[in-house]
Amino acid sequence: MTRPSYVRLAASASTAGVLLLSSLLAGCSAGGATAASAANDGTVVKGGTIVYGHEQEPPCLYGGWLQEAYIDRNILDSLVTEADDGSIKPWLATSWNISSDGLTYTFTLKPGVKFTDGTPLNAQAVADNFAYWEKGGNSTAQVSIDPYFKSAQALDATHLKVTLNKPYLPLLTMLTQAYMGILSPANIKQGTQAVCNDPIGSGAFKIQQWKHGQEVILVRNPGYTSWPATADHQGPAIVDEVDWKFLPDPIERYASLTTGETNIIYDVPTVDWANAKANYQVTDYITPGKPVSVYLNTSRGVFTDELVRQAFAYGANRKAAVQAAFHGVIPYEGNPSVSQATPGYDPTVAQAYAYDPAKANQLLDQAGWTTRNAAGYRTKNGKELDVTFAYPAGSVITSEGATLLQILQQQWKQVGFNVNLIPETQAETFAGKFSTPDSYDAQPWYWTSPSAAILWIVWRPSTAASPNYSNSSFYNNNQLATLIQDGNSAATTVAADRYYWQAQQIIQDNAAAVGLYTQFMSIAVAKNLHDVWLEKSQGEPVFEDAYFTK
Amino acid sequence: MSALAIPRGHVRGIRIPVRIGTAVPLLFVLLVAVAAVAPGLLTDHSPTAIDIQHTLLPPSLSHLFGTDDAGRDQFTRVVYGARESLGIGLGATGLAMSIAIALGFAAGLAGGLVDTAIGRILEVAFAFPVLLLALLLIAIRGPSVTTEIVAVGIGSAPGYARMVRGQVLQVRQAGYIEAAGALGHSRWAVVRRHLFPNAMRPLVAMITLGIGQSIVWASGLAFLGLGVAPPSPEWGALLDSGRLYITTSWWLEIMPGLVIVGVALSVTSLGRTLQHELEGAAR
Amino acid sequence: MPTMRTARRVVIKVVTAIAVLIAAASVTFFAQLLVPGDRATAILNQQNGRAQQWTPAQLAPVDHKFGFDRPLIVQYLDYVGGLFRGNLGTSYTQYKPVTQVIGAELAPSLILTVVALIAAWVLALAVTLLTARRGRFLAALGSTWEALTASLPAYWVGVVLLVVFAVELRIFPVIGGTSPMGTVLPVLTLAIPLAGFLGQVTRDEFGKVLDQPFITTARTRGMRETAVRLKHALRHSVVPAITLSGWALGALVSGAVITENVFGRPGIGQVLVTAVNTRDVPTVSGIVLVVAAVYVAANLLVDVAYGLVDPRLRTA
Repeated sequence: MTRPSYVRLAASASTAGVLLLSSLLAGCSAGGATAASAANDGTVVKGGTIVYGHEQEPPCLYGGWLQEAYIDRNILDSLVTEADDGSIKPWLATSWNISSDGLTYTFTLKPGVKFTDGTPLNAQAVADNFAYWEKGGNSTAQVSIDPYFKSAQALDATHLKVTLNKPYLPLLTMLTQAYMGILSPANIKQGTQAVCNDPIGSGAFKIQQWKHGQEVILVRNPGYTSWPATADHQGPAIVDEVDWKFLPDPIERYASLTTGETNIIYDVPTVDWANAKANYQVTDYITPGKPVSVYLNTSRGVFTDELVRQAFAYGANRKAAVQAAFHGVIPYEGNPSVSQATPGYDPTVAQAYAYDPAKANQLLDQAGWTTRNAAGYRTKNGKELDVTFAYPAGSVITSEGATLLQILQQQWKQVGFNVNLIPETQAETFAGKFSTPDSYDAQPWYWTSPSAAILWIVWRPSTAASPNYSNSSFYNNNQLATLIQDGNSAATTVAADRYYWQAQQIIQDNAAAVGLYTQFMSIAVAKNLHDVWLEKSQGEPVFEDAYFTK
Repeated sequence: MSALAIPRGHVRGIRIPVRIGTAVPLLFVLLVAVAAVAPGLLTDHSPTAIDIQHTLLPPSLSHLFGTDDAGRDQFTRVVYGARESLGIGLGATGLAMSIAIALGFAAGLAGGLVDTAIGRILEVAFAFPVLLLALLLIAIRGPSVTTEIVAVGIGSAPGYARMVRGQVLQVRQAGYIEAAGALGHSRWAVVRRHLFPNAMRPLVAMITLGIGQSIVWASGLAFLGLGVAPPSPEWGALLDSGRLYITTSWWLEIMPGLVIVGVALSVTSLGRTLQHELEGAAR
Repeated sequence: MPTMRTARRVVIKVVTAIAVLIAAASVTFFAQLLVPGDRATAILNQQNGRAQQWTPAQLAPVDHKFGFDRPLIVQYLDYVGGLFRGNLGTSYTQYKPVTQVIGAELAPSLILTVVALIAAWVLALAVTLLTARRGRFLAALGSTWEALTASLPAYWVGVVLLVVFAVELRIFPVIGGTSPMGTVLPVLTLAIPLAGFLGQVTRDEFGKVLDQPFITTARTRGMRETAVRLKHALRHSVVPAITLSGWALGALVSGAVITENVFGRPGIGQVLVTAVNTRDVPTVSGIVLVVAAVYVAANLLVDVAYGLVDPRLRTA
């Protein structure tokens, strides 16, 4: 007589469990519709608290990181702002005057503006901020204006003179970023800890409390007088409070919107895109600047040969792979140096290197990689065509991005590349483990910037005297450098664009980098919350005009 | 004497040499072992062959566990992942037990100062979070199967060391040890023939439990982004990448999870059976 | 004199505990220095969301500010000296004292861990008492349940609980934070696998104890089965589980990071992961110190519990 085995019990119990589980989970995909409130008759509600589900918590609330800019846009004001059509509109500066040689900018500031600590926001305060950026207080602000910036001087309480070394047309566009938000000088004087934990500005909101690991609580600044010209209403914020929550897990973040625990979330998972579009107001934003493209190490290894780089570009169907991996939500970007949302973008450059395995094979043969080993990878003089492809996992390249790379890896294998995918942990990334020329052959990254001046930051040749650690292709091309500089110092946008296009053409022709997709963000907003808009220059969600309806 | 060949049942007059309660987990473990050693026997797809036209397909006859977001056959990936996951489980437990036996026997046999010193070292080791150990190791050497084995192995060693020491202390005082010594057997012979088997036998179930736990722990590390590099189909990595799809393509997260649970369950059950039989035989 | 002996033993225990703490923090300090890469680079990169090299001119002020340019031994002695004064150092990335960084998120972690341990015990004891040695079917069911739950990966449980109970059934909030309702699912995520683990160990011991002569004696004296189990068998069978609890408490505090991640809950697991990623050496060492302290305290409690449960184990 056999004893009833407990494993058999386990088997039947787990089968039943799986069936129950899968039916419950399958039911979830249809969920979300019930979150929208019934009978929304459109009456504007004064006040209220917005619960915003953001993703990543920064270590400080002010600094050169995009995550910090997201918060700073709501608590700091900048000199100027960018309208949807790309033109520069007044903000703290009500008007400005550019000298004919393009070297002197005179800003007229709005009078009577105060920081939330009571101190006045005058020209001296703005000049102090410029000095702070240059000293390293905000390295992204610094790198946005170097080496063109010379000095900032307060002429009187409401007039500021900014002097440059060379003409720099993108200056105003760069000043629209939240990185260039104006801090209270008294706050700066208190030191790094104060600025890190409680930055003080003149914005529509101020920081009430930071509960680490959970949320930042922003409260309305009732004395707000300095809204930008692009604001949708005149006056201080309509809502009382914004609870800026940190929900890194995408399942939890989207779920919180469907249960109504948040009113707006950041970065809708692409897998839930259709559901989100059907039930919420979804806004997406293609980030200007350098898209997510793959730097190819031109100084060492297999990619020193331009033919091999071009074969790499032809060898995989990047467009179809991006489409599949992101479920059609994030657009493919064929231009590796500048994304389609950037002023000065050259669309013809994006057409290059369409998928052509025959061409890739031909180029590799031409480059001397004519033999194949048993595994199918090409060899030359006994060496294998190996590509060390390191990528920052989690932060820059999401899970879907990792799938994209795996798809491409298989396609590159067909033409003979042995692509070795190495996910970088955050610790390794910050330690700079993959920042030296001997540590990788290919690495994807992006840079956000509202202007094509990003080209200078990324492609400026690196010299011993003045190294450029942002030039991750280690590509030093002086002709390229001259073109970019000419573009930055051109007198008109039209003239600048012509130089920028040529620069993009050179980068693409030489395949110094390979395009993948645009850096992309989105927000999904509940139906009863209105007028949350995304800042044009960086894509930060702006809450100063937002309001609830009953 | 084979611990498993115990006649228990009859079906239509044929003697079944093995109990059902042992047969099912044994078969499952054998299946997984085959998957680890010769995956090609269980599936003819390739674990890395992408097919972007057929992504996220639900389970069907042609794709037993469905397909993932790159169109790869999930069943094949689970089969090919057995080698790495089982390797991590066995390797980590093996490493942990080696350290534990060395420390536990040294402490239990030598006593005195050695025991105190080892005791303090173990206390410090216990206070050191396994997670931190894993993070640091991976920061130093980068994520790989070896790093996972070392991290989980060293992390679980202190617990086993304590247990081994406890067992050694208990068995040391047994009558037959004294007798063996009195009979003139060398210390080493006493340890090898009497102390070791009697001390370790009660821990057999713990060891097999540990194999399952190591696999589960490794999958946790994958969740934190510390797992093996893609396109490895290690089970933890599958769980990590399937997470996003839990509400839309649940099979990607549930199936590998069930396999992990099944392996842990089977190995544990076999361990308990083995310990039972060994203890029965010893009595 | 017995009081002298007890007093001396207590003093030795306290001194040993402190030594263990210092040793743990020291090991952590040096272990982090082993990690390749320059600390000043990591700090600058983290502040700016970059992953690049920096020029010596940019690194020098950072090196000077944090004292990286001093010899390692000096840095270490400085650190340990600070520990004795109760100063755990200043976080490299948050510019705040480490005590503040950890303090803010310690309470939620401890609450989660302790409640999860209690819940695991309740579950484990209930299943063991109800099903151990009560006939084949029940025993098999109980065993299976425990083995099954012990094998579940933590975040698998977490995500399933989240999706089923918070999203689908809307019983609990998705964003738990630190509210009581929001703590239920994280507690269950930790408690269920732990209960399986503790239960298996207790069940084995329970079975052995029920075979002991004194149990038979109690039965022959006319005690009912439930009373036998509760009054006699249970006390002795929980000893191995108590030992494991000491370890579990220490391990859960930082091991709960997965649960914290899935449920968006603050806790020092998160702080630890971030601190390691950003090479925030004082914060990592501080967390190890705290976990070690929790573990030492848990061990003391375990010793007390032994004494309560089994007089034979009381250290005379």
